[in-house]
Amino acid sequence: MSREEVYERLNKVFQDVFDDETIEVNDDTTADDIDEWDSFEHINLVVAVEEEFAFKIPMGKVVTMKNVGEMVDIILQLGK
Amino acid sequence: MFMTITSFQFLIFVSAGLVVYYLLPKSWQWVVLLGMSLIFYCAAARNHTIIYLVISALTAYVCTMWIDRIRKNGNGPAWAVTALTVAALAVNIILWFIFKGYEFWAFAVRDTDMELVAALGMGYYTLQILGYILDCAWEVVEPQKNPLKLFLFVCFFPQLTTGPISQYSQLETLYQKHKFQYLNVAHGAQRVLWGFFKKLVLAERVGIIVSGITADLSLYNGFYSWIAILLYPVQMYADFSGCMDIVIGVAEMFDIRLAENFRNPFFSRSSQEFWQRWHITLGAWAKGYVLYPLLKSKWMVKFSKSMRKKFGKTVGKFIATAAGMFVLWMVMGVWHGALRYIVGVSLWYWIILMLGELLSPVFQKAADKLGFRTESFSWHLFQSARTYLIYAVGAAFFSVGLRKGVVLLKQAAETAVGRVFNPWIFFDGSILNFGVTWGDIHLIAIAVLLLVIVGILSEKYGYARNWMDRQCLVFRWFTWIVLFLLVLIYGKYGPGYNAADFIYQGF
Repeated sequence: MSREEVYERLNKVFQDVFDDETIEVNDDTTADDIDEWDSFEHINLVVAVEEEFAFKIPMGKVVTMKNVGEMVDIILQLGK
Repeated sequence: MFMTITSFQFLIFVSAGLVVYYLLPKSWQWVVLLGMSLIFYCAAARNHTIIYLVISALTAYVCTMWIDRIRKNGNGPAWAVTALTVAALAVNIILWFIFKGYEFWAFAVRDTDMELVAALGMGYYTLQILGYILDCAWEVVEPQKNPLKLFLFVCFFPQLTTGPISQYSQLETLYQKHKFQYLNVAHGAQRVLWGFFKKLVLAERVGIIVSGITADLSLYNGFYSWIAILLYPVQMYADFSGCMDIVIGVAEMFDIRLAENFRNPFFSRSSQEFWQRWHITLGAWAKGYVLYPLLKSKWMVKFSKSMRKKFGKTVGKFIATAAGMFVLWMVMGVWHGALRYIVGVSLWYWIILMLGELLSPVFQKAADKLGFRTESFSWHLFQSARTYLIYAVGAAFFSVGLRKGVVLLKQAAETAVGRVFNPWIFFDGSILNFGVTWGDIHLIAIAVLLLVIVGILSEKYGYARNWMDRQCLVFRWFTWIVLFLLVLIYGKYGPGYNAADFIYQGF
């Protein structure tokens, strides 16, 4: 799976979770860039990503992820 | 007489420690900190209670090392890691509950002579240890292999009594080598001085009035109740944040950066924002170690999904949020070890925040329709005042307990319906009955003004000192000397006067 492929699927997940078709994320996107991205949506997002890529994000990573780029790194490492 | 961090002995202790710290070889620095922490503990608390710290640290050490070995050898059963984590957490939580959760189980015990002396700072170090255990279990950090170094993380003296609650990853600087830098010591000392000012000049003075009023509510009603309700947050903030300034300042002198616990909370425009600026490290702890794991648990994910299916996305999300927040606030309430906090602050804020979640889209729409300028200064001011008032109501319960809190609020409300109307108390010197002078009241006003100015500067420059450092030498030294003299002359301390304990030292 390439980074581009991950982003293609990830954008869909974001658009779905935040109910906004216009969202496009990149490596530097953080919670500050998306209004609705609070603690609760963060977990919803994590759960949605887990379902899309069929793996479990370790709890430690859930807390320490700084931006979407790091999320993609984890997906590339563990996701399918 | 135990040593407190506002005492003269403490300043001598820190100064002497600094000399040793920077003179000894750098690889010894963490040992100096450990030694100082042990000395501080023995001077500040009953010596035997240190055994509880040792038990906590030791269980954390043994379990995390064991987990580490299982992982590295790859030979243990998968459940062993979970079992060890749960065991380590349980020992610490149970210890805490016996000593600090006293209020919740004391009713079941008949023997009232029983004396329980908790370890100093038990509420704070327990949270740090729980966080450390989970960080190790989640592989966020490598377990500390040296038990003495781990013990230093648990008992690091500036933060032991009142926090901030540090994460292990933030405090790994404790074990590094630190070069003497004049600016660290100067900035640290300035911050300590500012903390002394907040605590000894402002908080203690306001405290005299507040406790004077709340001591006899039947005598002091009407507008007295308003004074108590509105002044208590000032006392609380000056006390707790002043204490944090001393703690963070002392640590900074040793070149150790602790997390900030306050970021001008009274500038907040909503209650939600308020809690991101007030006791920040407790909120962060609860979010990282309670809320996230809870929300991500199988049970909660299922619940959240079924709610969405049943009630639609918006309502479903609201219900899941409300459930998660309820647990979060209850945990914070229980940590404070007091029913009055659970009801007065946890429950109160849970309701307020959930109402905010429900109503803020409605308000926003209404404001847009009416053409309200919600970005104007006057609107900000209104929002901050509203947030302050909401906090003051909850804090009233926290300060005087549930039953008295109701009386206090009821009496304040009576002024509005005109049952008790005594506005002249503001002018006729009635307030002086509590043992303060007009000079004290002026001093309170000046101190509050100073706090507001420093607050504005720190909002703008990150830290007020960033602005201060750019000023000319004469102005800087003049300011520090005046502040020093203010503390020296007007600080409530010295023979015949015991600075009261910090409010947040009890946890």
